[in-house]
Amino acid sequence: MTRILGVGSPFGADRLAWDAIDHLSGMDLGEVELVKLDRPGSGLLAYFNGVEQLILLDAVLLDTEPGGVSLLDPGQLDGLPSATSSHGFGVAQALELGQRLGCLPGRLQLVGIHTGADLSTPPNLDTAGLERLIRCLLPESVCRP
Amino acid sequence: MNDQSRDIQIRVPVLTRVEGEGALEIDVADGAIEHLALRIYEPPRLFEKFVEGYECDQVIDMVARICGICPVAYQMSAVQAFEGLFGFEAPDWLQDMRRAMYCGEWLQSHALHIHLLAAPDFLGFDSAIAMAADYPDAVRRGLELQTLGNDLIALFGGRSVHPVGVRVGGFYRAPRLDEVEPILKRLQAALPAAEALVGWTAGLEFPDDEQSFISVALSHPDEYAIGRGNLISGQGLETDISFYESFFEEHQSPHSTALHSTLEGRPYLVGPLARLNLNFHQLPKPVRQVMDGCGIHFPSHNMFHSIVARAVELHLAVHEAIRLLEAYREPESSYIPLQPREGNGFGCTEAPRGILWHRYDVDDKGIVRYARIVPPTSQNQGRIEEDIRHSLERLGLESADEALRLRAEQVIRNYDPCISCATHFLKLDLRRR
Repeated sequence: MTRILGVGSPFGADRLAWDAIDHLSGMDLGEVELVKLDRPGSGLLAYFNGVEQLILLDAVLLDTEPGGVSLLDPGQLDGLPSATSSHGFGVAQALELGQRLGCLPGRLQLVGIHTGADLSTPPNLDTAGLERLIRCLLPESVCRP
Repeated sequence: MNDQSRDIQIRVPVLTRVEGEGALEIDVADGAIEHLALRIYEPPRLFEKFVEGYECDQVIDMVARICGICPVAYQMSAVQAFEGLFGFEAPDWLQDMRRAMYCGEWLQSHALHIHLLAAPDFLGFDSAIAMAADYPDAVRRGLELQTLGNDLIALFGGRSVHPVGVRVGGFYRAPRLDEVEPILKRLQAALPAAEALVGWTAGLEFPDDEQSFISVALSHPDEYAIGRGNLISGQGLETDISFYESFFEEHQSPHSTALHSTLEGRPYLVGPLARLNLNFHQLPKPVRQVMDGCGIHFPSHNMFHSIVARAVELHLAVHEAIRLLEAYREPESSYIPLQPREGNGFGCTEAPRGILWHRYDVDDKGIVRYARIVPPTSQNQGRIEEDIRHSLERLGLESADEALRLRAEQVIRNYDPCISCATHFLKLDLRRR
């Protein structure tokens, strides 16, 4: 099973991953589950269950190419503050805990969406870039061309 | 200068990895604490002004946004205030299902605090992530119970964070029986873990730290109070929630943007330990038996027993949710339309961290004109400062700076304060004179 999670909140640029999920829901991605999460904290780990491939979308503080998307290395999350997390437990901490507990999905891919410098307003999402990246990440058996 | 009379300054300038923003200041001179302040400097959020001018049902969803961990508590206190004002007494089905939903919040919040926030302190780890290497099963148990609580909230609220299901007169939608049954099965399957958790927490090593404090909680003659009842204290107070303002005072302290509360001029405790101290005799028999057999005796005046109290209440929440959902039936209508009425409404329910009191002044069109909200963390602030002082003196002010800092942080986390959210602090600026 493949699941795509968009982690965010309703506020400003933090909602970029939700916008991305909304956009993806209009695409034919085949047997892919799309989920929007509002700052799940440690609850993120519950969404790893029963999943072979997990694509996790989150807004990242990058002022280059606002709205653009990048495939992230999990190591790039180390030490990131979790200002919009619950109990200081953000995505990076949840992934680290999942690694310790051995419950990360077999295929885990992190997609960062650039916030730009103005965090109060979400920039226009690079939908073409998002579509290209997601289709690359999904196996052909899941994502019909 | 010998070690006992050294001057110490402990500064935790930023309580990081927290929901709120706060700091800790402690000055020790000549072997005595001369200054101690839990500084809360997060800007006021002004929710009480935001809700003015909105309809009651809009306000119920707005106040849920105050907290991501205890939104159900905010909704329940608000809806109780409005329904009381409109002369509505919730029928049994509604009382039961709101209690079941509230059990979901207690379950997820208590599971989170016990396993991910408090346990690392007692087991010598600086975080749950570090603890997971040696106690993976305990951390997994916490996460599974937390998820179950979240799913129980979502059953009635549509989603677990900032749910949207509660409305004046009922719920927007009642779950179907086939939605209830899977949650009920999971609750039944989780019951052994909830029982075992009480013994697990009771087996932790606790500092010997008996203190004198006033417990305050709701009390209801028919049940262990969660969503309704009178206000009681360990000093003999018993009053209707509408008289809260006659007994409890809030005041501003220069070092905190959150108001401090006192009962007849004294700090007091709200939350799991206060509730258990006052209401343990109302626990259902199976929950009481597990508690009685755990080796920790309640009422307790050791504040560190709060983690055991949370585990007992988590067990209660699972037990109660099973009992209530086993009797679930789909209602003809999920709510009863109500006619707004002008006046003052009062609500008070037991959030995971303690009593959450609301007052709303509403006009004849059902528009909120004035609101006052007193959250549990605000009420516990004075008690936390009192506790830190006592605990550090009990530990011995001659102890190493790091030991003093860790004990102070452990004390703060022990209350699971929403403002600093009981997590582990990263930075310490400690100076000696």
